[in-house]
Amino acid sequence: MEKVAFPSFALEGKESVGMVDNNNNMQKSGFWYTVPAFILLLFFLVFPVFNSVICGMFQYKYMNKGEFMGLKNYIWCLTDSTILNSFKVTFLVTLFATISSVVIGLLLALWIDKKHGLFSYMIEMVGLIPWVISMVVAGILWKWILNGDIGLVNYLCALFGTKTVYVFNEPKSSLATMIFVMSWRTVGYAMVMLLAGLKGLDGNLIEASEIDGANSWQVLFKIKLPLIMTNFLLSLIVLTVSNFTNNTIPRVLTNGGPANATNVVTLQQYVMSFEFYEFGRSSALSLLVMLATMVIIYFYMKVTKYEL
Amino acid sequence: MSHTLSKPSLGSRVFETVFLIAFGILNLIPIFWGILTSFKTASDISQIPPKLFNFAPTFVHYKQVLDSGFLRCVVNSMMYCVLSIMLTIVVAYLAGYGFARRNFSCKKFLFSVVIIGIPLSGGSSTLLIPNYMAMIKMHMINHWYTMPLMYAAYHLPTSIWMMIAGVKGIPVELEEAARIDGVKQRYIITKLLPPLMLPSYAASALLVFIGAWNDYITSSVMVSRSDLKTVQQIIYDFMGFYGREYGPLTASATLAIIPIILVFTFFGKQLISGLTAGAVKG
Repeated sequence: MEKVAFPSFALEGKESVGMVDNNNNMQKSGFWYTVPAFILLLFFLVFPVFNSVICGMFQYKYMNKGEFMGLKNYIWCLTDSTILNSFKVTFLVTLFATISSVVIGLLLALWIDKKHGLFSYMIEMVGLIPWVISMVVAGILWKWILNGDIGLVNYLCALFGTKTVYVFNEPKSSLATMIFVMSWRTVGYAMVMLLAGLKGLDGNLIEASEIDGANSWQVLFKIKLPLIMTNFLLSLIVLTVSNFTNNTIPRVLTNGGPANATNVVTLQQYVMSFEFYEFGRSSALSLLVMLATMVIIYFYMKVTKYEL
Repeated sequence: MSHTLSKPSLGSRVFETVFLIAFGILNLIPIFWGILTSFKTASDISQIPPKLFNFAPTFVHYKQVLDSGFLRCVVNSMMYCVLSIMLTIVVAYLAGYGFARRNFSCKKFLFSVVIIGIPLSGGSSTLLIPNYMAMIKMHMINHWYTMPLMYAAYHLPTSIWMMIAGVKGIPVELEEAARIDGVKQRYIITKLLPPLMLPSYAASALLVFIGAWNDYITSSVMVSRSDLKTVQQIIYDFMGFYGREYGPLTASATLAIIPIILVFTFFGKQLISGLTAGAVKG
């Protein structure tokens, strides 16, 4: 960073007196500033994970620790057909919801980037509204609109002569509706993240390439998209994690039904813990889910190149 | 072909307008329709064709909702939000200062813990069961401080990251000059920097507020006492009581999004800059 002229000039002679980098004790004191934060993270992030590594190796009945199971809980989780099905559903939902919201978000961002001022701000705000309202509320509102007998959508469909659709009664349409609501929620988020990348681009670069005769498609694919790759991957990864571990929307919208068609793995976890009280098995399942999340987070860290 | 995008033709303008209207409708209609429904009587709600504005508005569902302990949950959620915002800002600011301005031995390791926590805090239900087991073990379930601590911990990683950026945005020379003038470190931390950190505080407070106010799943396992429940919890409970009666459900949903929409209207810009801060720097 370029130094501002006057203070560096004024400090020229005295730099060694109070320079932050020279005092070793002062540098070490930096650790103490982070202590409160890490006490909290230790209690609510690190300890729980290690604790459930242990819990996952025991049989639990209600909250009582039973016999030692070793890896049997994990093997059980990976062979149980309901759980395997829930993993399949989760992957499907995550894949479609994430890709559709990132792609639509990208299209919107590319489009708004050409607009200015209040107009683009308004679209950003409208786009983010589904993301800022709670998932419980969003779930209820969509459930109401899509209601089979007196819902608004079915009324509009009837105007066009379509037969009444009970979306939550059919496995396929339930799943599709869940994917729709999940991507509806996050399109605005993807749009805002990608727009930030586009706004940060050097206008001269694009102008220069246009003077050199590049057409709009070339500018898009050869210049804009490669330069916002970081933002693109970042929102892709963040939304993948968020959709992969989303529990509230499935719970409010379909609660796993019909016939486990929308039973995502976080719902399965919840049911195992708080309906069957199988805390050993659910801990093991939680760790499996966390492992999958960690793989995604690993890519997150690669992409962000966070530096201090 | 080459200039169709830079000089919008009539066709692309029509397409843009249609697209924009569709986008606006898709995003806003569930909320609009929910608010409208909340003012209809039960018989108006079940009318086909649905009534748009030709009905006599009623507050009966709001009264019903407010009489079923909704206000208590609003107060709880507000208290959780305020406490977790305060805790997060203080703790994240200190950590952010340490990371931005000091070098110490385990800095790299601690920082990577923070980074790992960022995506986890977004979709916190990965940690749901582990956290529940740990909280049971620590006897920390069902207390007034349970939710503020959880929310603060979930939002710390993101907030620390924002605070690091905030502290780095303040020139070191300012602190050095103050130190040469004989100012104590305590003064620098408590008096000199905080006014300059206000944008970072605001961005982090917004994220914590939205996260804490909207959280359902964490509170649903951590607190079950009726005097500790959150807004989202009672709305979910209403789904059980009222089943398919959408009057009270949409009324409670409307009440729950008012604070969010208010905050979002006034601080939307700060929220967007806070959200994108990490991405731009990445």
